[in-house]
Amino acid sequence: MFAELNSILNTSPDSFKPGEFILVSDKHTDASFLIHHFLSFYLRAGCKVCFLGLVQSFSHYSAISQRLGVSLTQAREKGQLVFLEGLKESLGVLLQGEASKGTRAVDFLRDPSSGLRGLYDFVRDNVRGGGGGEEWGPPVLLVDDLSVVLSLGVSVGAALDFSHYCRATVCSKLQGSMVMLVRCEEEEEEEESDEGSERLLRGLIHQCSLTLQVQGLPTGYCRDIHGQVEVCWRGQCDGQQTQKKLFQYKVHDKGASFFARGTSSAVL
Amino acid sequence: MITPYCRLLPYLSLTDSCHCTRYQSEVQGRLFPCGYINPGPSASIQAHQIFHFYHIFHHLAISIHPVLQGTEAGGLILIQDSVNYSGRHLKSYINTTLKRYITFPWHEYFQCVVHVLGFEASEDELKDGLDITSAQRLHFHNAYSDPLSWTRNSQFTVHQFTLEDIGTLLKQTPQAKAVTLIIDSLSWILRHHDPAVIWGAVRAVVSLLHSILHQQGTVGRIRHMATSVITVAPGTRGLGEEIFSINEDLTVTIQSKLSHPGHTGMNTEESELADPTANLTFNLRLSDTEREAKEKLALPFDFSKEKKSALLHLGPSSGRILYEPDANDDYDPEDPEDDLDF
Repeated sequence: MFAELNSILNTSPDSFKPGEFILVSDKHTDASFLIHHFLSFYLRAGCKVCFLGLVQSFSHYSAISQRLGVSLTQAREKGQLVFLEGLKESLGVLLQGEASKGTRAVDFLRDPSSGLRGLYDFVRDNVRGGGGGEEWGPPVLLVDDLSVVLSLGVSVGAALDFSHYCRATVCSKLQGSMVMLVRCEEEEEEEESDEGSERLLRGLIHQCSLTLQVQGLPTGYCRDIHGQVEVCWRGQCDGQQTQKKLFQYKVHDKGASFFARGTSSAVL
Repeated sequence: MITPYCRLLPYLSLTDSCHCTRYQSEVQGRLFPCGYINPGPSASIQAHQIFHFYHIFHHLAISIHPVLQGTEAGGLILIQDSVNYSGRHLKSYINTTLKRYITFPWHEYFQCVVHVLGFEASEDELKDGLDITSAQRLHFHNAYSDPLSWTRNSQFTVHQFTLEDIGTLLKQTPQAKAVTLIIDSLSWILRHHDPAVIWGAVRAVVSLLHSILHQQGTVGRIRHMATSVITVAPGTRGLGEEIFSINEDLTVTIQSKLSHPGHTGMNTEESELADPTANLTFNLRLSDTEREAKEKLALPFDFSKEKKSALLHLGPSSGRILYEPDANDDYDPEDPEDDLDF
């Protein structure tokens, strides 16, 4: 959990807005540090977290969260965290001999044209609290990352349908929150951008209420400033207007610091 | 007659050369005004947003009204937005204006009803900001919770977007003679249906299209089907457009009057040129005597005919040069350059 980011977004583990769909996107850089932030943030807030880790193993997140002060193994044992380890589950599907094993969640690997309905069913079953044990706060869905399904053959429309359903269930019905990470590839030609992750990103931007777009610095690599983050609050209801703010960041060993453009400690 | 409204329909500026923007003085037949929406710069928080779509509201009135003449009017009004400039606010404004139609005097003659087919926003989100009476007049069809029947709990699925099913929906309000159907959003439907499926049996349809999400050809086809297109984009103010602002309570205030194009267009252009001698700390203006003196002044190298002839012909009393060489001078009456031949 990054304290500076909390003050930028005006949230804290004790008080955050319900029903938020936060979209984290990156281009030419790696925005997964924000996923670690949100993971530790919501675990500290006492919410029930459903994490779809499609690109990394559980031990990866667990090691980093330990540095941020949160223990994922403990949370999993207590039932606060439900972790879908995409890489491990996919082995069951991809190896020929184990065709019947594996949860339905990664069914899209068997048949990409069928869409992400199995994944949605997994989310729906796990997000609905209940069960024995303690009462957790509002449910939270974290996805890291959604654009990887595009390279596995799932269409953009199916991915957008999945995020729509998750939003309808998690944000609107259960008043929980959602955080999704989308990574954009480099655009080489104009025609490719129609079918790729750019289209997915734009579709998700229309659905979400808060976007954090992370990019490398336009001037190139810098040792002290790792990139810039554009935070955009989309005015969903009529009371809100669309606000945008731009910050630069640097990732440390135990966190990340955010500052206004030009005020990096290396420069001042 | 509805003539007062006809006069108000002006010729609006073109946003795209391939779309029709002519207007007709008759209301019967199809009207093709093309609106242009300019919200303010997105970099700062603004208390008001500036829109130019008052004319579209009038078009809505006209499209609903001709039911009296029995003509099949109405058409597809398309609101096209982009990622940075959301079209979502427009829907609420449209709802508010439709509410106003209901309070117009011709409401007694026929009933205006608004049906909303909501795919992208939930009912609460859409009705947020409306007062109770107009919220009740809106018939919201929930296609948001389960549009593909994944949870088997759906009220309206995207596959039900056909003529018969829409007709069934609209028959829920049989007393209505004029129906406006608002589709939020067309992009959702286009993801699952071929654009050829979209038709027009309803009197007036207003729908939201996220333009960047589709191939160019798809957007173009839908635009051709539409009778008016509202594009949400940043831009500069053009001539011949009205500017309105939408206040917090969703009422509209006029900020600038319309100037008619054509022969009056030139006048507005000239008057818009700023006077550079105004608002200065020093005086750049000339008084009348100063102006006269200035005009009388003869410039040194400005040769009039008389001056030219006086210079070229030496007068009889013009000076002669008498030269007496003294001892130091080296005077040779021969011209050393005599043999030069130009």
